[in-house]
Amino acid sequence: MRALIIIDQPPYGSWEGREALDMALSLAAFDQPVALLFCGAGVNWLRKGQDAGKVQQKSIERNLAAAPIFGVEALLADAGACDQYGLAEADLLDDVCITDFGTELTGGFDHVAFAG
Amino acid sequence: MTPLKTLHILNKPPDHSRYRLCLCAIGPEDGLLLTENGVLAVTWLADINSERCFALAPDLEARGLSPQISSEQIVSFEDMVDMAATAEHVISW
Amino acid sequence: MTDIPMPERNNEGFLQIAEQWHPKVAEVIAAEDGIELTDNHWEIIGFLREFYKQYELSPPSNRLFVKAVKEAFGEEKGNSIYLMQLFPGTPAKTACRIAGLPRPTNCL
Repeated sequence: MRALIIIDQPPYGSWEGREALDMALSLAAFDQPVALLFCGAGVNWLRKGQDAGKVQQKSIERNLAAAPIFGVEALLADAGACDQYGLAEADLLDDVCITDFGTELTGGFDHVAFAG
Repeated sequence: MTPLKTLHILNKPPDHSRYRLCLCAIGPEDGLLLTENGVLAVTWLADINSERCFALAPDLEARGLSPQISSEQIVSFEDMVDMAATAEHVISW
Repeated sequence: MTDIPMPERNNEGFLQIAEQWHPKVAEVIAAEDGIELTDNHWEIIGFLREFYKQYELSPPSNRLFVKAVKEAFGEEKGNSIYLMQLFPGTPAKTACRIAGLPRPTNCL
């Protein structure tokens, strides 16, 4: 079973996205193939240069970098949303693939779930 | 800066319906302060670059957005308190 | 004994303030679990502390702890039997407690 977890909420303002990341890591822990897709305001998770010390949270940028180590197969970003939020490929974390959100993409997964 | 008539504090991201509502409500003597997810607007709108638009420093830093807005528009928590205290009205969106 | 004061800890024995960690503190916490720290322990403790510095998280569960160790050191050390022998109980929890890191979120 391949799972796609979609995060469309911006980082730091709420916990839903972190819970979704946790879910992805839990699937990976049991060797279930899982990928994360960021779309809408969710693409802001992927911007380089985050420093969350003063909002008293852990850096999402750093937490996400651990996902491939734990076995999350791919970090995907929706191209349209990246444009909207001024994110060029060079602004994104390493290992992020830009893709187009649509049926062609979701069709490749047995299970698709949204964060929150 | 002359005191603001209304300070609009916006913590919703640009794809939230209240974001558009807020932008429509800003009058010529008003100021806009972006906080929390609201700071994502700095990547979104060209007209956010006005001298009456500000964004909260810690929220910009968390999201890696400080370089995207001029330093005169970046405010601290203390500045935010001053702005809220001197404005005639405050609307928290 | 040690001349370093024992830092404040929570009800599960994890440090309240990460900066108060010290190798001597690790030895005391390990001793509570009946563990005498060897080079093999220190290798994993050093790995975990580096991991935390880079990713700002403790491996959230035992399985992910094993995965991360396997990525870094290979199958020989990245297996649950080896890590269980070094850090009895729930290895991720025991190891993070000794290494002065936050409690893994998904360990019971």
